[in-house]
Amino acid sequence: VDEHVLLVEDDASIREVATLGLEQSGLRVTAVGDGREGLDRFRKGGVDLVVLDVMLPSLDGFEVLREIRHDSQAPIVMLTARSELHDVVVGLELGADDYVTKPFELPELVARVKAVLRRAAPAGDGGTISVAGLEIDPEGFTARKRGEELQLTATEFRLLLELARRPKQVFTRDLLLELVWNYDYLGDSRLVDAAVQRLRAKVEDDPKQPALIKTVRGVGYRFDAGS
Amino acid sequence: VTLRRRLTLVLALAVGLSGIALGAGSYFLVRHNLLADSVDSSIVQTRRNLDVATAYPKTSELVDQYKSRGNFLTVATRGGQTFLSSASVSLRSVPAGLRAVVGRGELGYQRTTVAGDRFLVTGAPAANGTKLYFFFPEDGLRHELSVLRNVLLGGVGILVLLAALAGVVLARSTLRPVARASTAARSLAEGLLETRLPVEGRDEFGAWAQSFNEMAAALEAKIAALSEAQARERRFTADVAHELRTPLTALVGEASLLADHLDQMPPESRRPAELLIADVARLRKLVEDLMEISRFDAGAESVHAEEVDVAALVRAAVRARGWDDRVRLEGDGLRVTSDPRRLERIVANLVDNAFEHGGTRVVVSIGPGAVEVADDGPGIEPEHLPHLFERFYKADASRSGRGTGLGLAIAQENAHLLGGELEIASEPGRGSRFTLRLPVA
Repeated sequence: VDEHVLLVEDDASIREVATLGLEQSGLRVTAVGDGREGLDRFRKGGVDLVVLDVMLPSLDGFEVLREIRHDSQAPIVMLTARSELHDVVVGLELGADDYVTKPFELPELVARVKAVLRRAAPAGDGGTISVAGLEIDPEGFTARKRGEELQLTATEFRLLLELARRPKQVFTRDLLLELVWNYDYLGDSRLVDAAVQRLRAKVEDDPKQPALIKTVRGVGYRFDAGS
Repeated sequence: VTLRRRLTLVLALAVGLSGIALGAGSYFLVRHNLLADSVDSSIVQTRRNLDVATAYPKTSELVDQYKSRGNFLTVATRGGQTFLSSASVSLRSVPAGLRAVVGRGELGYQRTTVAGDRFLVTGAPAANGTKLYFFFPEDGLRHELSVLRNVLLGGVGILVLLAALAGVVLARSTLRPVARASTAARSLAEGLLETRLPVEGRDEFGAWAQSFNEMAAALEAKIAALSEAQARERRFTADVAHELRTPLTALVGEASLLADHLDQMPPESRRPAELLIADVARLRKLVEDLMEISRFDAGAESVHAEEVDVAALVRAAVRARGWDDRVRLEGDGLRVTSDPRRLERIVANLVDNAFEHGGTRVVVSIGPGAVEVADDGPGIEPEHLPHLFERFYKADASRSGRGTGLGLAIAQENAHLLGGELEIASEPGRGSRFTLRLPVA
């Protein structure tokens, strides 16, 4: 069954061409032109991924993102202007899984969307990992902390899985971009930093004093199973 | 010599010279008068002595009489005999000239020194062939004169010192506004455009300070207007790039859909479609470069530093752009803490620039703290070198390159952001060599 993408973009030309591009790559697309409409459509269900523009009439992209993240961990790809650094950071902090900057090439958009969808599919490799009070089940795509299920996005789950599989190993940002985001070449390291922040907020007892996901200054991150 | 020192010197010199002239004048006047007085009083005494002489027919008694007067010494001759009132003088002490005058029967005087003592000697013939010589001591007088001379010399010295001191103080206080103005001018030159001088008094310096302040205010206003205009221009560029983004995104998407179906097009529309796709790509690059430059202008760029293996980064950049067969990599082992995306951008822009300007083979060599990008292109004329990093600068007006004209400017901005520097060495006919110097931690 085709995966269903909700595209929220106010510019009619971009909306149409992006729809064509995504459809030609085998996805089912519903395209809407404003934020309110997009949120309503998302809430009706059946959406596997949202492609969300930032500048939208009636309800801007960040508002829509916040509303969706309120009760859903569905994959979200933001469309932002590269000139607005701020937009990228805000989008990632609010829980976007990835972003594409305008102007973008269609293959780039399709590649990002597919990479996020792949991340959201159950990772059928290996059994449950139990480490430092966490239980990570790759097949069930769930993570529990002291028996309680954590609400993780696909990106956060993959990130936790990659880190926890090899505790003590230092992961560079580039390596994590490759393993989790499928960037084979120079992705944006802010993707990693923002996802780590969000993951810590959900996994750590005290996100300001992380005990599990440690920062290795100037290099990257390391999962610490505890002493 | 500074103006202050010159002023001091001139003042001291003027005071010293007039002091010397005044002192010397009064000294010689006083000296002349004292010596003349001494002659007058000695002559008066001599005449009085001559009057007395008639009362004493015996010369020895006369000399004794003179001796009792006390304030002069007497030498008397009568026939071949000499009579002295004191052993400290003798007939030989009497200057020959005076003896000749007296021998002619006249009264005369002359100054002489006897055994280091100065005397005014008067001489006159008396009755019975007696010749009288009186020695009036002048040592007291000479001493007074030397005291006067020393006092005058000392006075002039002190006067000169005082004048020099006054000169220093005066020069300093006069020149203080000048020193202040020079400090102010320097701080203006350093960019502190709000610098002003205090306007004190209504003298020339006050007026000058006023004009200086007016000049500074005009300068400040001019520069504010200029930078305002520049900011407006940059904002406009940023806005234009921004506004182009949405239609460009649609264009880029449409071109890429077209590209997927080129082979299904009839030949007459296929070529235009190919050109359209290429031009959209060019437009996209231009707009992206403009947006990047605008971000630098707005100071919106930041550095995300990590440990970077420069050789690995360059290798990956070359491979990602499909340049493997035209770019050779030399050197290894340079590790820096820097922003890999920016480093990548700099190297890629330099290599791109080399190909764009006629290079067919590029060598990227990595050395200590530096990355060099050398090409085998036609090289660059020296007069273009200083402008190469300017935006839209075209060294060769006839070559309408496929580049945006912003590649080197962006590379330079990135280099500066990383604390590095881009340098170029080029010679027509021998290719060009760009060097990126990085700060080594």
